[in-house]
Amino acid sequence: MQKLGDFRLPHFFNYPPYFTLQPVRETREKQVQLWKELILVYCRSQKIFSVGLEEDFPLFSNPAIERCLSHESKVVFLSALVSEGRAEWMDKSHKKCLVLWLSIQDWADYIINFVKENGLEDGVMTVEDIRSGIETRGTELAGIDRGVLMRALKLLEQKGKAAIFKGSSTDDEGVKFSA
Amino acid sequence: MRRRPGISGLQTAAAARDQYRLVGENVAKIRTDLMKEQLATFRSQLEEFAKKHKNDIRKNPTFRSQFHEMCSKIGVDPLASNKGFWAELLGIGDFYYELGVQIVEICLATRSHNGGLINLQELCSLLSQKRKTAREAISEDDCLRAISKLKVLGSGYEVITIGKKKLVRSVPTELNKDHNEILELAQGQGYVTVEEVEKRLSWSSGRAMDALETLLKEGLAMIDDGHKDGKRRYWFPCVASIFSSGGA
Repeated sequence: MQKLGDFRLPHFFNYPPYFTLQPVRETREKQVQLWKELILVYCRSQKIFSVGLEEDFPLFSNPAIERCLSHESKVVFLSALVSEGRAEWMDKSHKKCLVLWLSIQDWADYIINFVKENGLEDGVMTVEDIRSGIETRGTELAGIDRGVLMRALKLLEQKGKAAIFKGSSTDDEGVKFSA
Repeated sequence: MRRRPGISGLQTAAAARDQYRLVGENVAKIRTDLMKEQLATFRSQLEEFAKKHKNDIRKNPTFRSQFHEMCSKIGVDPLASNKGFWAELLGIGDFYYELGVQIVEICLATRSHNGGLINLQELCSLLSQKRKTAREAISEDDCLRAISKLKVLGSGYEVITIGKKKLVRSVPTELNKDHNEILELAQGQGYVTVEEVEKRLSWSSGRAMDALETLLKEGLAMIDDGHKDGKRRYWFPCVASIFSSGGA
């Protein structure tokens, strides 16, 4: 089986027709389903948050079988994710896509769980701490996209579970949890 | 013997006929008894054999298939019922019913990918993967037996032979001769192009396109426009699957 770094690629990735949009409805549905799953699983394992349609993205081509996805196919697969709320277009021209392998709500829940498990209730963390601090190392939060993190924190703020404030000494923002 | 006239002559003839019949009946009875006895001996021998080699029959697929062959030659079907002596002795009926259920599961799970037609070899290897925990090895012969049991359900499970390969069909798609020939051709590389079909089978271009379009609509083929020669390839997951093929 082929690998991308330490990521095990699924079998279908080596089957050439999966790189051509299928005209028959049922076959297409299966194809889109497989690609959606692959994109989510891959992005999650590699902590990739944004996929550019015009940039090199390892999943969009398979040199081993000399196949690559057309622009149209990329748009179809990513749009399918967007329509499920698992991704968002970052621009009007649909050239860049934010992949949410966890929804904002899921991220918010994940943060609260993390806070509880680590006894950080009523504690204060900076946004940078969450993204790259020692506490979150080895969790899904390490390396989280700043935009996604801020949206999850704002959601928590709305629910009264966190308060975001500007740091006084640094540029960084801080967050106080009240789980 | 000189034929004597009169009533006593007639009586003698009748008596002789009766005697002959009696002797004939006796002979037939003796033969039947002998046959019955032989069959009984054979059956008990077979049962003894089965008992003795119970483990081999359960564990070794080659042995199992030979045992089945032997049984079928003498008209004993160990799978006829899972209540009979054989099932009790070998648990062999349940074994095939279990396989049958797993085969149906695999066919359903892979249907959206292969259009309901699957290579027997692949089915077998998927079955083995599924049964990793069960210690008995599974042979293609076992699969075929289990599938033949599925026919009773009338759900259209059928084994078709195309070229050298056996394919298991789980959808009621009717494949005509043209389709079969294309599938056979595709066994080489896993795909065909319109050009190849026309050349190798000496068909008109309309005929090739028609057959390929039908296979595509039935979900048995997938198109691939990505090759650098620009020719569309029609791939058939049922003959060379993603689970076994290395690529183009």
